[in-house]
Amino acid sequence: MSCLLEVTALCKTYRKQHGLFRQETIKALENISFQLHAGKTLAIVGETGSGKSTLAKVLVGIEQPDQGEIRLAGKVVTMTNYRKYNHVIRYLFQDAERALNPSQKIGDMLTDVLRFSTVLDNLQRQQKVLESLQQVGLMDEHIDFYPHMFSAGQQQRIALARALILDPKLLILDEALTVLDPTLRAQIVNLLLELQQQKGLAYLLISKNLRLVRHISDHCIVMQHGQVVESGPTEQLLTQPQHAHTRKLMGMS
Amino acid sequence: MLLLDIRNLTIELETNHGLVRAVDRVNLNLREGEIRGLVGESGSGKSLIAKAIVNVLNQRWRITADRFHWFGQDLLQLSFDQQRKIIGRDIAMIYQEPSKCLDPTALIAEQLQESIPNDVIKGSWWGRESRKKKKAIALLHKVGIKDHVAVLSSYPYQLSEGVCQKVMIAMAIAKNPKLLIADEPTTALESSTQAQLFRLITSLNQLKGMSVLLISNELDSIARYTHNLSVLYCGQLVESGKTSQVLAQPYHPYTDALIKSVPEFQPDLPAKSMLYALPGSIPTLQHLPVGCRLGPRCPNARKECVHTPSLQSKQQHFYSCHFPLQRKGS
Repeated sequence: MSCLLEVTALCKTYRKQHGLFRQETIKALENISFQLHAGKTLAIVGETGSGKSTLAKVLVGIEQPDQGEIRLAGKVVTMTNYRKYNHVIRYLFQDAERALNPSQKIGDMLTDVLRFSTVLDNLQRQQKVLESLQQVGLMDEHIDFYPHMFSAGQQQRIALARALILDPKLLILDEALTVLDPTLRAQIVNLLLELQQQKGLAYLLISKNLRLVRHISDHCIVMQHGQVVESGPTEQLLTQPQHAHTRKLMGMS
Repeated sequence: MLLLDIRNLTIELETNHGLVRAVDRVNLNLREGEIRGLVGESGSGKSLIAKAIVNVLNQRWRITADRFHWFGQDLLQLSFDQQRKIIGRDIAMIYQEPSKCLDPTALIAEQLQESIPNDVIKGSWWGRESRKKKKAIALLHKVGIKDHVAVLSSYPYQLSEGVCQKVMIAMAIAKNPKLLIADEPTTALESSTQAQLFRLITSLNQLKGMSVLLISNELDSIARYTHNLSVLYCGQLVESGKTSQVLAQPYHPYTDALIKSVPEFQPDLPAKSMLYALPGSIPTLQHLPVGCRLGPRCPNARKECVHTPSLQSKQQHFYSCHFPLQRKGS
């Protein structure tokens, strides 16, 4: 099995200005290393402020890392080849309702993604849009709909279609499943699992919901204050947590 | 003694397209010292019911009920001022999104002291302020905030969501309410703080005999802490009864789906296998189906389901379904 994403010694610090001369550095990420194989799911668990979202932002290219290396399928990633890069890693936001442009039809929105980062012509684009809508269980006529005409679950599906339209290898789910209602979440989880089996998608799941993490992830990383405190296969980690912080997160102590 | 006794509560909204019935004939009972869970997905009207109980809905909502009793007194018959007096004395509510519900322009100390009613503070008028200050500090300690100096002298935006939530609880219990309504108290919190909060609420319930109405959209997070459970779907009460009974044998297909969609209740389900999910999505208030509102999504819907089923009971376990699920072998 090939290694899709390899992160070594990733660091990220933020500077906070106090007055004119004093500065405070906040270490958001410290020495993060992990590997993710194709077709697997990696879960990142931690409290708010532990650096989970920063890690996702660095991976997807919204933020630049200070140190460290991100290797994608063996090649070192730099932010200069960003267009090529965002084919491979796509990001699914927490709140689909706010992540979709309310004044744009679904079809236009999806076409824009293709226009921006592929060389397909008009007809191919159209085809691709319909294909990706079908993939997430929506219908062809939905391209003329605006986001507000959909329910919350469908909106999350549209966001998923927008993420999948470039045939990515890795999907980052930043709390994307937490806010959904239980029965809708079950639907989306099923859809994600199905896609993983069919296409060998890898997921990076950032979540507070440990039950969900246990169900869909293969490996798990526990973060605290920007550091990895524990990592390992999910089943093992959640049945026999070693670190005190993991136990605290599980509500055991 | 029944604390709260609501029979056939209906909440309607006047819109341009006529009346929309957001909550359809819901029954709700609360005994003293009971923790009742109210579960339902977004748009099922749980927050509406909570707001109707504390009477903070605005004029556009029309509330009717056959019975709306608080300690045997019909609240809907009383004048607005009398209602406010009773509700203000006995019922406290924790709202969703605590950091947005606190006043952003006032210090926590001011807000907390304001919420302590004068009759809780003993003694004369002289020195009341300093006693209030002491009481505020004691309240913060009670909800598990150790660093009271920093918290009291900060504004809500400076605090984390978890601390804000604890401050809200401190404000709610300041008047020793008989009923605490917690409207999705843990949605914004991480799991360790969630557990802490639930422990706090259960301890308040046990020590003071305070009744709690716990509202959530996740069945699993509150099932452990509640004695009784009511499940709502689209404004209709689909099932209610003892938590253990409802979880062990759901009669309504929706409750069944809710339980099955949570991996935790399915210990023998292998990881990465498909979860049970109802097809379709929750209908919007403008396009509610007739009869049983689960109808279009229900796996065993039949012709009779276009009529709203009446509430039936089996040993204090209420459900409203024409074709209740049968346990295998029973």
